[in-house]
Amino acid sequence: MKRLTPALLVLTLAACGAPTAQTVQSTSLNWAIETQPITLNPQLWAQNKVRLLVFNQFDALLSKAEDGTFRPWLAKAWQVSDDGLTYTLDLRDDVTFHDGTKFDAAAVKANLDQFLVPGYNPTVAAIQLKAFDKAEVLSPYQLKITLKEPDALFLDFLSSPYAGQVSPKSLKSAKNLKFGGPDLVGTGPFILDRYVQGQEIHYRRNPSYKWPPAAAAHQGPAHLSKITYRFLPEAAVRVGALTSGQVQVIEGVPATEVNLIKKDPNLALQASLNSGTAYSYYFNTSHAPFDDQRVREAFRQAVDVDAVLKSVYQGTATRAWSIVGRRSPFYDATLENTYGGDVAKANALLDEAGWKQRDAEGFRVKDGKRLTVREVASAPFVRDRRDILAQAIQAQVKQSAGIDFQVKIVDQGSAQKALDENEYELFGNSRGDSDVGAALNLILPAKGAINRTRFADPQVDKWLATASATSDQAERKELYAKVQQAAVRETAIVFPLYVPADQIAAHKSVQGLSFDPSSGTPASAYDVRIGT
Amino acid sequence: MIKRLGTGLAVLWAAATASYVALLLAPGDTVDILVGDGADTPEIRAGIVAEWGLDRPQIVQYLAYLWRLLHGDLGRSYQQQRGVGEILATQLGPTAQLTLAAAATGVALAGVIAVVTAGRGRWLRGAASAAELVSVSVPPFLIGIVLLSVFSFTLGWFPVSGAQGPQALVLPALALGLPIAGVLGQVLRGGLERALEQPFTVTARARGLTERALVARHALRHALIPVVTLAGWFTGTLLGGAVITEVLFGRPGLGQVALQAVTGRDMPVVMAVVLLSAVVYVTISTLLDLAYRVIDPRIRADR
Repeated sequence: MKRLTPALLVLTLAACGAPTAQTVQSTSLNWAIETQPITLNPQLWAQNKVRLLVFNQFDALLSKAEDGTFRPWLAKAWQVSDDGLTYTLDLRDDVTFHDGTKFDAAAVKANLDQFLVPGYNPTVAAIQLKAFDKAEVLSPYQLKITLKEPDALFLDFLSSPYAGQVSPKSLKSAKNLKFGGPDLVGTGPFILDRYVQGQEIHYRRNPSYKWPPAAAAHQGPAHLSKITYRFLPEAAVRVGALTSGQVQVIEGVPATEVNLIKKDPNLALQASLNSGTAYSYYFNTSHAPFDDQRVREAFRQAVDVDAVLKSVYQGTATRAWSIVGRRSPFYDATLENTYGGDVAKANALLDEAGWKQRDAEGFRVKDGKRLTVREVASAPFVRDRRDILAQAIQAQVKQSAGIDFQVKIVDQGSAQKALDENEYELFGNSRGDSDVGAALNLILPAKGAINRTRFADPQVDKWLATASATSDQAERKELYAKVQQAAVRETAIVFPLYVPADQIAAHKSVQGLSFDPSSGTPASAYDVRIGT
Repeated sequence: MIKRLGTGLAVLWAAATASYVALLLAPGDTVDILVGDGADTPEIRAGIVAEWGLDRPQIVQYLAYLWRLLHGDLGRSYQQQRGVGEILATQLGPTAQLTLAAAATGVALAGVIAVVTAGRGRWLRGAASAAELVSVSVPPFLIGIVLLSVFSFTLGWFPVSGAQGPQALVLPALALGLPIAGVLGQVLRGGLERALEQPFTVTARARGLTERALVARHALRHALIPVVTLAGWFTGTLLGGAVITEVLFGRPGLGQVALQAVTGRDMPVVMAVVLLSAVVYVTISTLLDLAYRVIDPRIRADR
């Protein structure tokens, strides 16, 4: 045994000497999150709030900056042909998956081809990859992607979790491909090593990581050696766990707790508006009473949005003026202060539309029918106290204009039934797409997959289609401005309320917490560190 | 015993069928659930219908479902896209731990309070009664939040979440066990007091038995009968309460799985949880019948 010792010592010293001083640090962090992942497979990702987990384990091909431009990540350069049909990607040649296999053009091709497997992710295959034709390996680190038609949103796809690169070996061998988990491996700064449903998810540092996205604050492996995300769905419990030091970071800070956290000298609060669409009420224009533009405008005038937001969110919500969120580069600020909060005008519009009489309870009546509008919301998607917001608006429109606004929160099946049978007058929705064009394409076109206003305008359809086909940002901004003007001001089919935001509260000792520049949701833990 | 097994199987079949029919009658289309919040197109819907066999006649789907159940195949979760058996297997342990600990806490607390207060002064009884009433009428959610605020956030004695180690089990078990202690305590005390008024106590006292020995050896046995009858209710309370307790404390377990499944209308998971509850219920009621015989010799004599 004795003779072995020097050899062991040398090995140990060599092992210590190799990494930089930074990586020797052993630091771990506990972070309480609100939402449980439905899947950990990035290519099947569906919850915006789970981005922070996905990008710990996986890297995308491109990254996206806040201004909407794209930056290198696993692809260090890319070229788009003039006709918008061919994308040539130059990949990094120094990247390795967690299972030791090499990242190269063949791996990217395998990932893209995976979406063509029937039943793998039919939604992505039909929407985001609608234009995808084929991927060809040009050389070990160069890949050519051919599209069937130009698609301005294709680069956005390459920067989304869907383009999170999974080791082709693990795509074949993973025990549960659809769910993901420790045996579905990526190239990210952290390695998933434990997932306990309903309790926590645990990552350890990837010691050989040196390929962060262009906007990262540092290079090399992550600062933290371990990170545990605990699932604590109850907001009060998350805040209690933070103030008592059982976790160092929480996300999803309720408005009622914001002041408590701000007053605590040991805690810091950060908030960021989400990308995508603002939370808005969409009016169903296919039947009475919202088939009449005057009634739609009256509903908006009857609500003092600022007062309602202040009482429901205690001053922490950001008012929206357009379907497009304020964070998007396509936001049209000229819509600000163009409508709302004029009770006299609301009543005049309703009188004009023929809703003149009032019944015993003070609601307006026309031809013996009460002015009733129904909102049907699916319980799993009600967040941010939107039920309370609806109640506040209900009270306002009743008092100020005699509108009977009924709010029903039901299970997903019942909500879908109401939508299918056109048994609703009002629909509340926000979307977190990193490029708001993707959301508008679903909501506004006559044949949009979630066109729940049942509004149809060929001009708007044309503007949207043109904006999707061009990658000229200035031209897209101009087109989307026209779309917003049409939907919000000219036809009043939408009533924008507030821009959803994410919050992070943390102990002051935790540094480097930030938000994903493309989505506005909390970023991965790559740049997070503890101490000075 | 064979007759009992038959009854048990019939109950399970009824539970399986009832949950199947109930979910069938629930509004909405399974395809919508499978599509999720994302956009859908006719092609996507057709693909899903084919993949899950939703185009077959309802009766065929029902029989296929029963056939799979007989083979121990609980199906695949719509939401999580993995085997229901696999999901339940990982979640069963933590829930069993929690419910057993809560049951033990409830029974032990009830026993101690009842024995200490039965037949005692008005004041002590009144205080115990009031405490029991509070623990029964306050929602478990609130009990949990109060316990967390005091013992975890303020005093820091117990961790808020997780299932590692016995320490993390204390507060959830208390939150779930207190309402049970409240009801059982009242019933047990009533039973004890009635038993202490029975003629046999006079004989026992005459034999020079101390009051404590009388309660422990004789009265308690009498008082236990109504308590055992309550155990059915008790099982239901534990299973239902586990949903709230697990979500509140961030514990893994069937409760949070059931909650997610119901709100997401994840039929295979919902049905599996219903079936599992039925199995637990059947098992408990069988065990209770056996327990009656041990506690009350008269039942043994009758049969």
